[in-house]
Amino acid sequence: MREETRREAVWQFLTYSFIVLGAVVTLVPLYWIFVASTLSESEFLSSTSPRLVPGGEFFSNLQALQARENVQILGHVGQMTQYVDLGPVYFAYDFWHLWNPGAIENSIFIAVAYTLLSLVLCSMAGFAFAKYEFRFKKPMFYAILATLILPIQLLVIPLFLLMSQLNMTNTYWAIILPWAANPLGIFLMRQNMRSIPDALLESARMDGATEFQLYYKIALPTMKSSLAALAIILFLFQWNLFLFPLVILEQGKYTIPVAINQLVGAQRVYYDQIMVAATLSIVPIFVLFLFLQKQFVSGILAGSVKE
Amino acid sequence: MATQDSTRPANSLRDSVRFWRQSLSSVLPSASDSTVGYLFLLPAIALFAVFLAFPIVYTLYLSFFRFQGVGGETLFWIDTGFFSYRLVSIANLQFVGLSNYAAMFTDSLFHQALFNTVFILLVQVPLMVGIALLFAVALDASFVKFRGVFRTVLALPVSANLVAYSTVFLLMMQDSGLVNYVLTGIGLDPIPWLTSEFWSRMTIVGAVTWRWTGYNMIILLAGLQNVPQQLYEAAEIDGANRIEKFRYVTVPQLRPVLLFVFVTSTIGTFKLFSEPVIINGGGAPLESTITIVQYIYQTAFIDFRLGYASALTYVLIGVVSLLSAAQLRLGGEGDA
Repeated sequence: MREETRREAVWQFLTYSFIVLGAVVTLVPLYWIFVASTLSESEFLSSTSPRLVPGGEFFSNLQALQARENVQILGHVGQMTQYVDLGPVYFAYDFWHLWNPGAIENSIFIAVAYTLLSLVLCSMAGFAFAKYEFRFKKPMFYAILATLILPIQLLVIPLFLLMSQLNMTNTYWAIILPWAANPLGIFLMRQNMRSIPDALLESARMDGATEFQLYYKIALPTMKSSLAALAIILFLFQWNLFLFPLVILEQGKYTIPVAINQLVGAQRVYYDQIMVAATLSIVPIFVLFLFLQKQFVSGILAGSVKE
Repeated sequence: MATQDSTRPANSLRDSVRFWRQSLSSVLPSASDSTVGYLFLLPAIALFAVFLAFPIVYTLYLSFFRFQGVGGETLFWIDTGFFSYRLVSIANLQFVGLSNYAAMFTDSLFHQALFNTVFILLVQVPLMVGIALLFAVALDASFVKFRGVFRTVLALPVSANLVAYSTVFLLMMQDSGLVNYVLTGIGLDPIPWLTSEFWSRMTIVGAVTWRWTGYNMIILLAGLQNVPQQLYEAAEIDGANRIEKFRYVTVPQLRPVLLFVFVTSTIGTFKLFSEPVIINGGGAPLESTITIVQYIYQTAFIDFRLGYASALTYVLIGVVSLLSAAQLRLGGEGDA
């Protein structure tokens, strides 16, 4: 019996050590970029041992990063050229120049716009597939189902030609529209919306609800948790998109991945500035992750039950 | 005195809304009418056709041609005075038959890219799935406290931007970086993570494993919840120890989930792009880590050989689709 409990204790110790080691290995790079972003480049390169205590250079690094000509990571206040003077109150009406967005704002804006647009499109299409009968429903659904197995991020060559023909190169449309009708999203929405009882829709119809009201007053509210999970999938998909933005976007419209690529590929690589950029682009999503952990997990799981 | 009258212009907006609502409801009168379904579907299907279905077909088409420049040639043209429309070709192409596919057999850089990708895959996928499985089982153990905290920490990399985290590895793996510091600290020799051919691939392996282990752990952890507890109890009665329970209950029960994780990880490795571009764009000998997608990118958008790149894309899409189809078939019990 004593042998047994000792074995149990050893086992528990090993299990804990394994988990803790994993947690440390996971956290160290994250902590370390933060530290590296607070050191000056000479501190970072010259020190014989990597420092684990943050320095005080974060803001000067950020300033140097912001002063770069070709890449803008964070936005900055632009030239307020026009004022309307109403006596005691005056305001600038040249709103686009109040804040020149940088790569982070671009990325957030694009990912949010994409997520919202795609949620609307996917849920509408899913609702149609789940709750209506029409000709060619099956062939259309199977066509979408078939593209689930394709790596849709890789279809960049025809998209590039198409976007040049449509005069959409170097626009945000070019990286929002191609995946807005996300096959996985349509599929997930259709699967989940099949569980909405027909009787519920029918009784709402009796009460005089229009078909569109059925969609946004009944279907959408009952799908809240699926929509949240899908939103995470879509947001991360767009947030991590690199290949096509790299091809299609030019200076001034860069998203985070393309901007960081510019910093890394530059003639002279400034490690301190790169770390500031990496910190700024990783931290906001970490915070989001901590708050929306449940949705992240259900998003991962929703994406994993494709079949 | 002026009274609020429905004919006043202030209400014209409301009237026009009413007018349009009435005309619309004559178009979409009832649920039995299939137009409602089409209307809900229309925006998604239109985008799907233009930006997904068309590219899928057009990539195949392009793969039989040599690209000679962007198009502009008028294919179709109509001008009725008040309405004109011009359909323009999107590329200037020369038909070359199957020679793009034939060229792959003698393209040594393509072979190198294929080799690198498969090498990374063979090392990385088993390593990562193994670690993820161990984490999942460890976190699932009944005695573990702070399970939620550990799970959160281990899953944290899921939220890291692919390019941003790659730069972290680019810096950690420098000759005088953090990893070599730890190695020398425990008495080992520093490793040329970014400059040797072998180790630069290992750097990619390490980076990808760091980023995706937590993701796979979450999936496996969910799979573990579905393993019937009685099986463990039965195994215990038969005198099975921990290792045996893992070997004879956990692994067989998790087989579909493990298979899924294996296949999606393999697909993910085939699509590897951000990591080699960032990590090895900054260091290693280029050709030792160039991946297939990276090679496609270079062929298409640096050399502008779009036809050949399309053929490469189709080969890659073929491989990935076969894998996905296999995944659906092998893992598919839940087919509804």
